[in-house]
Amino acid sequence: MKHIKNEGLEIVVKNNPKTPRSAICCVFSIDTPTELSGVSNLTSRLLLRGTNKRTAEELSLELQDNGIELSTESKRDYLKIDTVFLNQDFDLAVEILEDIIKNSTFKELDKEIFKLKAEIPAVLDSSTSKLSDSFTRTIFKNHHYENSVTKTLEDIDKIDSKIVNEFWGTMLNSKKVIVAVGDFEDEEKISNELNKKFAFLNKYTEKTKIEDIKNLKESKVVKIEKNSANQAHVIQGWITDSINTEDYPKIIVMNNLMGSSGLSSRLFYELRDKQGLAYTVRSSYEALRHAGVISFYIGTTPNNIRKSLDGFRTEIEKLQNNLPTEEELQGAKENVLGRLAYFSQTNEQQAHSICRDIILGRPLDFKERYTEMINSVTREDLSEMAKKYLSGNDVIAVIAPSDYLEF
Amino acid sequence: MIKEKIDYPYLEKPISLYTLDNGHKIAIAYKKGEMANISTWVKTGSINEDETNNGVSHFLEHLMFKGTKQFKPGEFDKILERKGGIINAATWKDYTFYYVTIEKKHIDLAIKMHADMMVDPTLSEEEIGPAFDPEGEAPEEKRERYVVIEEIKMGEDNDWRKVYEITNDAMYENHPYKRKVIGTKQIIATIPQKDIMSYYKTFYTPDNISTIVVGEFDNEEEILNKVIENFKFKTDKKAPIKKNELEIKMKKPKYVEKTSETNTGYIMFGFLTDTSKNLKESIALNLLVSILGGSRTSRLNSKYIEQVDEPHYNSIDTCYYQFREGNNFFIEANFDPKYKETVIEEIKAELKNLNEITEEELKRAKKRVLVEFVESAETVSDIADSIGHYLTVCEDLSYAKKYETTLENITKKYLEEIAQEYLNENNCAIGVVMPKGEN
Repeated sequence: MKHIKNEGLEIVVKNNPKTPRSAICCVFSIDTPTELSGVSNLTSRLLLRGTNKRTAEELSLELQDNGIELSTESKRDYLKIDTVFLNQDFDLAVEILEDIIKNSTFKELDKEIFKLKAEIPAVLDSSTSKLSDSFTRTIFKNHHYENSVTKTLEDIDKIDSKIVNEFWGTMLNSKKVIVAVGDFEDEEKISNELNKKFAFLNKYTEKTKIEDIKNLKESKVVKIEKNSANQAHVIQGWITDSINTEDYPKIIVMNNLMGSSGLSSRLFYELRDKQGLAYTVRSSYEALRHAGVISFYIGTTPNNIRKSLDGFRTEIEKLQNNLPTEEELQGAKENVLGRLAYFSQTNEQQAHSICRDIILGRPLDFKERYTEMINSVTREDLSEMAKKYLSGNDVIAVIAPSDYLEF
Repeated sequence: MIKEKIDYPYLEKPISLYTLDNGHKIAIAYKKGEMANISTWVKTGSINEDETNNGVSHFLEHLMFKGTKQFKPGEFDKILERKGGIINAATWKDYTFYYVTIEKKHIDLAIKMHADMMVDPTLSEEEIGPAFDPEGEAPEEKRERYVVIEEIKMGEDNDWRKVYEITNDAMYENHPYKRKVIGTKQIIATIPQKDIMSYYKTFYTPDNISTIVVGEFDNEEEILNKVIENFKFKTDKKAPIKKNELEIKMKKPKYVEKTSETNTGYIMFGFLTDTSKNLKESIALNLLVSILGGSRTSRLNSKYIEQVDEPHYNSIDTCYYQFREGNNFFIEANFDPKYKETVIEEIKAELKNLNEITEEELKRAKKRVLVEFVESAETVSDIADSIGHYLTVCEDLSYAKKYETTLENITKKYLEEIAQEYLNENNCAIGVVMPKGEN
């Protein structure tokens, strides 16, 4: 692996021999978010909508003709551009990447706003999307993480090209990472080439001013009526410390044991296998730069809402009051590390993972350190995490027919 | 035992395919890396069901995880997931498959437990749960019947699922593909254990099963022997071969519309085409997926979304599913409900326009299909899925080898003929889901 570290841009090249497709991932740290929801999303969409050299249509045709995948995505902490291509198309993929970063015109803003406004009601047709949107807005209230599709609908008409251009300006001056993973026998040559090509990204003036979310000031219950629904959907969540804190690996293992290991987690076994309450029940942990959220989710028959919440409570108390067995702890750790290996198989997955680590301030050998961090978690840590995070103020969001919302 | 070596594009070594004397097929593929995959594909799904047991294939798939004589319920999941394994299963019209993806150092354990689950499931009354009336009071004891009914309810709330199901229903007259794979609440709530066990014994026979192992194995013979040793089938009888009357093209067009508590409209155009055995035609229809709706530059996306300032479509896409007894081609869109009639007319007009395809479009579509093929060889799970598909749905693994040359030889004229033959408004089903009050 070859690593070049400039002030505003870091470049990593990793050789994976005999892989027919290579990947380049490029991320821009969001250090100066706008108050308006949707700006980052619109900016990422507009990066594919034409440059000074190529119209949107020309860009799409060129990508299609050469079998190059190019996508952009706005995440909570960074904006991401991904490209995957057959090895022989490396030069063209790099040139296109440079073009969209350097020369995007953002001219089609009005059209993208129209499309986004029309797409959001379609997203909200799904009960789980609607629920997740309300949950996010409630738990991250007054922080830019609360940006969601419904908030975007409220803010979108205030967004103009000046705001988008200014936002992109801050992105170009923030911290950036480019990672290429593929059949690159000469890592040094490729990294030097990328370093030269993207030297214009070396500027770094946008240092973050965003504050961490420490905790929830009060518990909240959000009830959403959907009278035609056959199932109710329930999320219960808590704020945790952010990603680069010592609790991070402990919460990862606790989350795995509680509900993210697949078919054998405690929530799955107790609420689905034993009580038959749901087809889907799980826990999730979203670790971000300025906060974390651990949440439990279940989709169940509407008259089981109370029973499901009680089921969550029982499992929490069980972990708070009793240490897990050594076997269970080891199993959770192995599951966490096995999943990491599973989700690191393709060049695209590896490129994104390295980008994400660096942009979040982790060292280049984070993957190796991560294994050590996970392996050092103890049984006591898990009970302590359950006490620390799963008993304070929470957000409960429920979508169900109105008759079932008094639970 | 018969052994064949089959070249497979983008893999470093040919695949070894063994057919044992009892008919059990075992494919072993080499893929460098830390991960390995074992999966077993059973050639049964809703195609083998009728009005009395619709949903049994999928229900059985759930129950296969509920214990064997050797491992109590929950142990399979627990033991393998505690080794970092990703385990699951899926049921479709032609097949049911089960898989474990795990670090290769644990492959012996995965083979042992996976084989045990496949040949010796308990299917106990206790795990199935008591029969009940799904329209009445919920039973006190909610076991796997109830879990599957929750899954059915989840699907009923999904608008894409709704529009797919009404379209699929309209596409067929009598063929078993007409039925929902997940079945009905009534059957799942009441089907007796003995019927489920009988279904298992009928279709989970060695000749109806293919097992695939993918990973970086130094000693292939060792893997083969482990699979053979652990798959201790209790029977060598053969699965019945049921011949259904094929429905390759709809005799007349159909239109079905439903309402739902939605903000937007959902539409599907569904077409029946020839069987999965017809490789050339399948590839041609995949190319038409790409030309018509598969990307930003496709005809439908380009004309109705990309080049329009205020499109009335939120999304428009095409897809193609291969089945043993006749494939399906779909066009699907999400749209502003005010434009329902316009949407229908626009899609119909684009079907007519398929009588002329440019060389440029063909070249572009070929590149895209080729890249998708490369993509399907990137992970052990993707490779296992592709091999399972060829063995079970196409019933011929050599199709993978023939794919690229067949693709290369497809001409513009042939593509236009296929489009005219199948993608015609006179032999399609149109399903629409509209917001309440807007139909």
